[in-house]
Amino acid sequence: MDFDDTPEEAAWRARVRAFLEEHRDDLGRRSGPRTSDDRVARERQALLYDGGLVGVTWPVEAGGQGGTPMQQAIVDQEMARADVPGPINLIGIGMCGPTVIHHGSEDQRSRYLRRLLRADDLWCQLFSEPASGSDLAALRTRAVQAEDGSWRVTGQKVWTTLAHLADYGILLTRTDPDVAKHRGLTMFVVDMRAPGVTVRPLRQMSGGADFNEVFFDDVVIPDSERLGDVGDGWRVALTTLMSERLSLGGGGTEIGPGAAAVVRHVAARLPDLSPDRQALARQRLGRAYVDSLAIRYTGYRQLSKISKGELPGPEASAGKLAGTRVALDLADLAVRVLGDDAAYAATADGVRTWQDLQAVLPGMAIAGGTDEVLRNIIGERVLGLPPEPRADKGMTFRESLAAAGASAEERR
Amino acid sequence: MNFDLDDEQRDLAAAARDFLSGSASPAVARAALDEGADVAPGRGALVESGFATITVPEGAGGGGGSVLDLAVVAEQAGRVLAGPSLVTYARAAVLLTGDERMAGLADGSLAVAVADGPGPVLDAAGADRFLALRGDDVVIGGGQVSVRDPIDPTRGLGDVALADDLAVVASDALLRWQHAERVGRVVLAAEGLGTASRALELGVEYARERQAFGRAIGSYQAVKHALVDVYVHVEQLRSLVWWAAWAADQAPDELPLAAAAAKAAAATTLEQAAETLIQVHGGIGFTWEHDAHLFWRRAKVDRLLLGDDIGAFDEVARLAMAAADDRAGAVPSAAGAR
Repeated sequence: MDFDDTPEEAAWRARVRAFLEEHRDDLGRRSGPRTSDDRVARERQALLYDGGLVGVTWPVEAGGQGGTPMQQAIVDQEMARADVPGPINLIGIGMCGPTVIHHGSEDQRSRYLRRLLRADDLWCQLFSEPASGSDLAALRTRAVQAEDGSWRVTGQKVWTTLAHLADYGILLTRTDPDVAKHRGLTMFVVDMRAPGVTVRPLRQMSGGADFNEVFFDDVVIPDSERLGDVGDGWRVALTTLMSERLSLGGGGTEIGPGAAAVVRHVAARLPDLSPDRQALARQRLGRAYVDSLAIRYTGYRQLSKISKGELPGPEASAGKLAGTRVALDLADLAVRVLGDDAAYAATADGVRTWQDLQAVLPGMAIAGGTDEVLRNIIGERVLGLPPEPRADKGMTFRESLAAAGASAEERR
Repeated sequence: MNFDLDDEQRDLAAAARDFLSGSASPAVARAALDEGADVAPGRGALVESGFATITVPEGAGGGGGSVLDLAVVAEQAGRVLAGPSLVTYARAAVLLTGDERMAGLADGSLAVAVADGPGPVLDAAGADRFLALRGDDVVIGGGQVSVRDPIDPTRGLGDVALADDLAVVASDALLRWQHAERVGRVVLAAEGLGTASRALELGVEYARERQAFGRAIGSYQAVKHALVDVYVHVEQLRSLVWWAAWAADQAPDELPLAAAAAKAAAATTLEQAAETLIQVHGGIGFTWEHDAHLFWRRAKVDRLLLGDDIGAFDEVARLAMAAADDRAGAVPSAAGAR
């Protein structure tokens, strides 16, 4: 048992660290205000790409480094350590690109992949809909093939991160409502500038606007932009979701503020509290800090597997579940120790860091797999508990809509 | 990064499992509760197996192994509610460093317990020699044990009135005493890991089989998610136990924080696991007849041993803030991301 890098890992870490130090001033600050200018963010990603730090696990022929998940994890760790923000095209790199690699044509791969890695094009992932969140396969956006072979797409997507800036998206549609819901889906690459695509930003409870709703009104997609076979969209989507897990490396980074920052903040505020309040605050801090240590060392167990060449399994879902909980606990404590300022959106000095964070974190328990879905995954795939009941089992999608009381218009 | 057990430690766990599950079990714990029967494997067999004295140096007749080795065994002991506790042997092996009585620990002639103060002493039942702290000296001597009605008889708790004829084992040895206590916390957390992990398995097995409203109850989110939350905490506890045991062997600077964190997490995780085990079983879960309360008893007592969890959480907070003071503005260490 040890926590050391192998010689190869150490050499890679040194290379990554040297690059980040050399370009420190051009790469921005993760802890600072985010840039509102996507051109700056694109340039930063291009710089990282030129340094070999983007697309680490992608194949060389796709423009990547042909590296290992462990190398990716080291990049994640070093970027966090150096306070460098992640690449703007994170969803493209982790999800859209790998889907194109696995299911795209030679032509699509050559047109899209390198530009994605350099952030010449930004990508978004068009999966969730107003009526299908966790139950993704119940999506309703329809794609109908015309006589010339092209497809006409109508429907609505939602919670689409980066759609307002994106050049392309991967789009999951329903092409056959008269088979079981998982079987009638087809995936496409869609040009986000195509006529009929409308993007409307959604404002989150924190006041920020990172994601959008996207409307498709008879949007034309050439058949050459299809990813995988007609009706095989569910399998293609699973590639996307599996790639997400791999691209996250794991074990290197914390969700939210990071325990160390909260510890420093609480330590600074504690002397202002009465002794009995200090004891209560320490109790909260101790509990959250034990959880954060436990998550960190569980992450090192994951990382050790990755280092040996194993892939993360369904148990990795526990990291996001527990990481979200502790981030909420830490942020809550950080706000509480502000005293009377905790009731306002900013301190009397105008600092709003902790209050803002408190309003962002509830979304973490929902985005990228809700706590409930993650618990189902662990319960069924790790503990072997029986699956959730599925009331739409054995039905076609159209029948399930009728059973759910959908209108005739929706069922058409 | 190789934060995992090695093959030898896996073999050790398997051997410990064979030995311990061959003698100790919830049924034995039940007999101790119902009839005052002896705990198993008991001092003699535990010492003879070599598992109790893994951390005693080879020169003194022990195994010469690491705290991590002992933690691996302790997890297996926790699964079957074995007694006496390996915590007692782990602490004694530290406290008797360089003392000729260490050989007695290894050959079983010394039936020792560690007395922390006026409160309940772990494994006092069956002990005739007691290690204690007097001023800054580690001392040993006889004592009068009064055993009271136990919640968990496998812990052998009793109040100890030390005799007057105490011999000094080590003078000016406060640091040694603290180190022994921390190693004890690591081993206690490892036993708690095994107990919690077994409670989870029993809960999962039942939730797979028991039917209600035409389906296995484990298919309902209310039941499934409760068990998943236990699973997540058990795996996190495993990480803390490994880290703390590794720190005891390799990184003494990290041991105070790691041991306090493992102690605290073991207390809360084992309670959660035991309470969930009862809840998942419904009516049968809170009968005397069912084993669930034997795990619950362990949880309710262990949380108070070697300082309670509330104290340990407070200690973690104090240590974390003190470290933040020392390292204000510092970046993580150069080697790896730790």
